Amino acid sequence: MCVRFEPSNVTEMNDWIAIGALALVGVLIPFGMMAVSYLLRPTVPETSKRATYESGEIPTGGTRIRFNIQYYMVALLFVVFDIETVLLFPWAVAYQDALAADIPLVRALGPMLLFVAILLVGLAWAWRTGAVQWARTPRQLESDRP
Amino acid sequence: MAVLELPDWMALAPALILAGTALVLFLIDSIEPHSTNRTLLSGTAVAGSLSSLAVAVWFTVAGVGATGIENYGVIDIMNGQFVVDQLALYFMIIIAVVTALVTVASYDYLQDHTYQAEYYSLVVLAATGMSMMAASNSLVTIFIALELTSLPSYALVAILKDNRGSVEAGLKYFLIGALSSAIFVYGVSLVYGATGSLQLTRIATVLESGDGAVGEMGGLLGLGILMLIGGVAFKTASVPFHFWAPEAYEGAPAPISAFLSSASKAAGFVLAFRVFTTAFPLEATTGIIGVDWTLVFAILAIVTMTLGNFAAATQENVKRMLAYSSIGHAGYVLIGLAALSADGGDLVMGAAMMHLLVYGFMNTGAFLFVGLAEYWGVGRTFEDYNGLAERAPFACGAMAVFMFSLAGVPPFSGFWSKYLLYTELINAAADNTVLLVLAAALVINSALSLYYYSRLVKALWIEEPLLDRDRLAQPTGLYAAVIAAAVMTVVLLPAFGPVADAALEAAAAVVA
Repeated sequence: MCVRFEPSNVTEMNDWIAIGALALVGVLIPFGMMAVSYLLRPTVPETSKRATYESGEIPTGGTRIRFNIQYYMVALLFVVFDIETVLLFPWAVAYQDALAADIPLVRALGPMLLFVAILLVGLAWAWRTGAVQWARTPRQLESDRP
Repeated sequence: MAVLELPDWMALAPALILAGTALVLFLIDSIEPHSTNRTLLSGTAVAGSLSSLAVAVWFTVAGVGATGIENYGVIDIMNGQFVVDQLALYFMIIIAVVTALVTVASYDYLQDHTYQAEYYSLVVLAATGMSMMAASNSLVTIFIALELTSLPSYALVAILKDNRGSVEAGLKYFLIGALSSAIFVYGVSLVYGATGSLQLTRIATVLESGDGAVGEMGGLLGLGILMLIGGVAFKTASVPFHFWAPEAYEGAPAPISAFLSSASKAAGFVLAFRVFTTAFPLEATTGIIGVDWTLVFAILAIVTMTLGNFAAATQENVKRMLAYSSIGHAGYVLIGLAALSADGGDLVMGAAMMHLLVYGFMNTGAFLFVGLAEYWGVGRTFEDYNGLAERAPFACGAMAVFMFSLAGVPPFSGFWSKYLLYTELINAAADNTVLLVLAAALVINSALSLYYYSRLVKALWIEEPLLDRDRLAQPTGLYAAVIAAAVMTVVLLPAFGPVADAALEAAAAVVA
């Protein structure tokens, strides 16, 4: 394999120098701040400073808990709308131009209507099968019964 | 015959019908959630896959996408993002057949199951992805089709939510699938980086012309191709990404194992055939990356078939045995890609495609028989199957047909497809010793496979049962699917010539 080097040019700065300088500054700023505050601050050791959230709730239990499946359902439903927007946006931008260029309405509007209809079927299905219904504990179900 | 003028996009009808069926299933489930109307749901899925099959067969017979004097040539959709030719239609037929068999069999297998509509819609969605994959002609559409195939498959493997084996299999399948998808898409990005195009024919044009910087990026392109092969290996359950297969097939419900090991494998192979014949023309690519990519496939083919067959021979569990045997068959089909370097390589590829079609019937049937055994609840090992023939002679007769056909014993069609593969390989091997090694490996492995396939037949027909059984139920759907698969394995014999010609022609059209 042959490796080529650019002829060294003193007047023109290599692009990578700028990136390197940016990275250097990016590292220096936080460490500089930490160093300065280390030099200036008084040392008052206290146990409550070791807490995860110094001014918040006292955490209990481990971090590996089970999340309600409902969060995932909401996230998945979000994807439906997200994808819809991603495709609707470029279509909306091109729509006027397409009509101006004498593309028939069926070809300009039809595919997008079909796409939205497919997503609507998905949404309706999710709604109908209870994806947007907040999951209930067995005890809540018990109290609902007549 | 009256000439029907259809718009170009209608050529994708086999895949579009499947997509429509999935939406109809969603609508049915929306109207009546958690429906247990198995006849309606299963019937819709079967009707959808059968009409997809009918349209694909009709298109093939009518010469849609065929090249030739009286035909209109390959149909190009959305500026070459999709292409419908004989290869695409051929694989659409395989996929629709397997989907139909699986959905028929699921009617009984899913009795008392909670997620009926979800199951069928996922199966049909996965089939849509596979069907689209057959027609995809750009790395983007291929990747989308790949994901559309994979995502429902993960859920389907784990659909028996209360069964630990099923959930474990689903998780393993998902993790390995996610890894290989990542590798595949990274390969796509490298190929795009080297050639500046995602559409397969345009990649080939760039490689052949050697425009721009392609010539200097052989390493990048080679790595990209290697990663694409990784993605293909996962989908087809070949070495080095084969190890998910025994786990996933064993844990999954048997119809899903049948679906994955036949249809999903066929989809993986059509991806490989399409990408490697269209996008990476051999001479130009070898000139740039310095390595002949058929060599990689030759090595993979030998390792895959040997590993699959040796591992299958040591199994005690019937489903695992079938899983390893399906790895072995992936090795046989990989020969089709390995032989492309020689003259007559297109014929070898056609023979490999023919083997895939036959395999679609016999392997699906074999897994569905395991599904039948699971339905009866007889157990999973060879001993548990002892003497089943006394109680269920028809199903066991069908299973014997599948086993001998898989092993390649004459007169079953599995023998003829292997024989075709072998003779074409020998013809092509005139000036290429690597192919002779492949042919030898094919024969040795086939002979070895006879051992473990006949072991199952012996257990079914000759061994005495371990314990007395009551009468076994005769579930209509499962029986119908198993018998239909067996009948097709036998009926393919008289039809073998024309079908094989269609496969060879389709392969020749793509390679040329």
